[in-house]
Amino acid sequence: MNNIIIESMAFTLPLFIIAIGGIFCEGSGVINLALEGLLGMGAFFGGLIVAAFTSTFIDSQSTLVYISLFSAMVGGALFAMLYALIVLKFQANQVISGVVINMLSVSLTAFLTNQLNISLFNQSSNKFMLFVFPRVTVPFISKIPVLGAFFTDVYVFEFIIVVVASFMAYLLYKTPFGMRLRACGDNPHSVAAAGKNVTRIRFIAILISGAMSGLGGICFAYSISTNFSPSIYVGYGYLAIAAYIFGNWKISNTLLACLIFGFARSIGYFMIQKLSLPSSYSDLVLTFPYVLTLILLLFFSKSNRAPRALGEIYDKGKR
Amino acid sequence: MNNNFVELKNISKVFPNIVANDDVSIEVKQGEIYAILGENGAGKSTLMSILFGLYEPTSGSIYIKGEKVKITSPLDANKLHIGMVHQHFKLVDNQSVAENIILGIEPIKKKFGIFPKVDIENANKDVALLSKKYHLDVNPTDLIQDVAVSTRQRVEILKMLYRNAELLIFDEPTAVLTPQEIESLLDIIKSLRDSGKTIIIITHKLDEIKKIADRCAILRKGKLIDVLDVAKSTTKEMASLMVGHDISLQIKKDDKPFGETVLDVEKINTFNKDGVQTLKDVSFSVKKGQILAVAGVSGNGQVEIADAIAGLLKTSSGSILLNGKNINNLSIRERLEEGISYIPEDRHNVGLLLDFTLSENLCLKQYYKEPYCSKHGVLNFKKFDEISNILIDNYDIRCGEEKAKTIVRSMSGGNQQKAIIAREIHSNSDLIIFVQPTRGLDVGAIEIIHKRIAELRNAGKAILLISLELDEIMSLADTILVIYGGEVQTIKDAKDLTKERVGEYMMGVHKSC
Ligand SMILES: Nc1ncnc2c1ncn2[C@@H]1O[C@H](COP(=O)(O)OP(=O)(O)O)[C@@H](O)[C@H]1O
Ligand SMILES: [Mg+2]
Repeated sequence: MNNIIIESMAFTLPLFIIAIGGIFCEGSGVINLALEGLLGMGAFFGGLIVAAFTSTFIDSQSTLVYISLFSAMVGGALFAMLYALIVLKFQANQVISGVVINMLSVSLTAFLTNQLNISLFNQSSNKFMLFVFPRVTVPFISKIPVLGAFFTDVYVFEFIIVVVASFMAYLLYKTPFGMRLRACGDNPHSVAAAGKNVTRIRFIAILISGAMSGLGGICFAYSISTNFSPSIYVGYGYLAIAAYIFGNWKISNTLLACLIFGFARSIGYFMIQKLSLPSSYSDLVLTFPYVLTLILLLFFSKSNRAPRALGEIYDKGKR
Repeated sequence: MNNNFVELKNISKVFPNIVANDDVSIEVKQGEIYAILGENGAGKSTLMSILFGLYEPTSGSIYIKGEKVKITSPLDANKLHIGMVHQHFKLVDNQSVAENIILGIEPIKKKFGIFPKVDIENANKDVALLSKKYHLDVNPTDLIQDVAVSTRQRVEILKMLYRNAELLIFDEPTAVLTPQEIESLLDIIKSLRDSGKTIIIITHKLDEIKKIADRCAILRKGKLIDVLDVAKSTTKEMASLMVGHDISLQIKKDDKPFGETVLDVEKINTFNKDGVQTLKDVSFSVKKGQILAVAGVSGNGQVEIADAIAGLLKTSSGSILLNGKNINNLSIRERLEEGISYIPEDRHNVGLLLDFTLSENLCLKQYYKEPYCSKHGVLNFKKFDEISNILIDNYDIRCGEEKAKTIVRSMSGGNQQKAIIAREIHSNSDLIIFVQPTRGLDVGAIEIIHKRIAELRNAGKAILLISLELDEIMSLADTILVIYGGEVQTIKDAKDLTKERVGEYMMGVHKSC
């Protein structure tokens, strides 16, 4: 039981922070299918920084892991800028652009990983090795039955995500910026009439989604494989999209959705172990969260309401 | 020093393919209600958008209280205490009234001394106070999506007042309101004036101008035609200046007896999606050469009648006969083929494909038939354009230079409506349903459409007219049906009813059948 909780939280929280990025972007009225690509690019950046720094001057692992989180956020945001350029400046179709960003991210990171490994580090590999992320167990609280498991063997990044997520929730629901951002998603003309720049708000929202995806991406890289490789692209970005749709574009409900996905996944793994099924069945288990997604969406997508202006290209003169 | 709040001097605005304002100069005095009158497309909204900083004028200058100013964004306008309620409200549906009002200038308080936070409690208080002061009666915590159109409009007014606007601009504020709501809005506007605000109101409804405005500027095709002292001019004068020729809203109808029954509605009942009954045992019939008008306060079941006949709404019981044939179970297209034409209330969502061309819209009813479509299912666009050009000429649809290829969205409301009517009449049905055919249109366009309806009647069509405008009903109808709460209150010969009497039936005061 404890293992299930520990495992699923390590999965839930990165998924949650990616979904929060999606909520910011879509909340401002821009469709974001690019989460998958953004999380991959963020993880790539984080991995690159680790690889570059270990081979050069810093070898303090503990500093480096945090630097890698930060650089993943920067990397995600930078790549998101490309998406922003395409959909805001050139006003391209947001669905297609998102998919293109994803495909671009997959091939670009694969290419760059190989090339950089050869040219910088003189080795041929499609990976950047990462360290094992430090885990902590909170004294005393972790002794509480069941609940204690949430405080046992926790990756430090999980705490960071909780802090960042709380800040993002505050930003979205309590500050003027968040209010305007949500207004952009419902009726951008109201924001323009209030004298604010819709495109700028959306630009920032897209950057935020990039940074959050980057953070989530590198955390996945740490918790799942301790390296960056193209295997990062297994669809967690899409799962995050499903999570916030299922969560009705609200941060609190989305957390619930992510928890459900996280637990579904760990319970699946647990059952394989328990029933001592051959490991090839683990592939089947990987589909578990997605099947669950389909079923949940079947029930919830009718009552859920997307931001009213979602996907609409903002045109000042339109009447 | 004069007491002009605003002076617009020689304003011109050129859009890529049209001169929307042509050397317009007006002066608005502090504390007056100044009306701007003009047909659709005359350039009223453009002129005011320039004053509000949404468009930059191609040439000309603006003076506020005698000082030359540059207004390049709504923010500048706010600083100069200018506010505007737009024709289409700019509100966020899923936020509260107060949140909408403070958007952009949110009051802030610091949480734990560092984290800035929107001070919504204070905003709610301020909005409630302001609402009380001006008798606007809104609840700051209601969500916009849950409140009525008239409330939304008052939220827009509060938005301006919250920003301390001294000059309030209203762009066609009454177009979306029912007669009662219009009355109360006009009262609000008057009391705003009395509390010292300056007001500019755009409208093409002459009686409203007569009721509240002090002066009235008339625009036609982008040019300023005249500025009238409202108390000293008649509505007839204003109307003819506005359209450029004399207007007659007198309808010519011949006295032929009605022909055979075309539509026979018997005891139909309908329910909305919440299970509330919207029509109760409604029965009536329409004969050839008869205009049956349905009068009623908005939301009492008139739209349901039209939708039930056209097949957009399922009836739970009762029957609908067209030329003696039961059409209850036919699909919408089958009904149309049986001979129904429908001019819907919502021309943007139901009547037209706004981003399609005029010719595609004009052929919407026939595109699947030969000669518009070959036997093998290939559309013949040449044919589309051919027939469209004929309709454009016959019905005087004014579109851009691309003629039949004009995108419908870019056309004015009056011409969009003419296009729908042209399409519906062209299919030569026995029954024509008009729902609010002149909503939002100016007198010139109304005149044309009323003439068309009378012509169709004289040509022996059966016409069902549903309208919220009592004047329209009184001038067109042969027979008047009044509906209240989904029930028929009376069906009488129009000659036996006065406007006042119909009004009483509309309020459900008495019932006779
Ligand atoms: N943003 C725009 N781009 C191009 N043409 C426009 C634009 N806005 C208005 N127009 C045109 O300018 C003319 C005046 O429009 P408008 O000021 O909205 O008229 P009104 O408010 O009097 O009905 C119309 O012919 C309209 O099609
Ligand atoms: Mg207008």
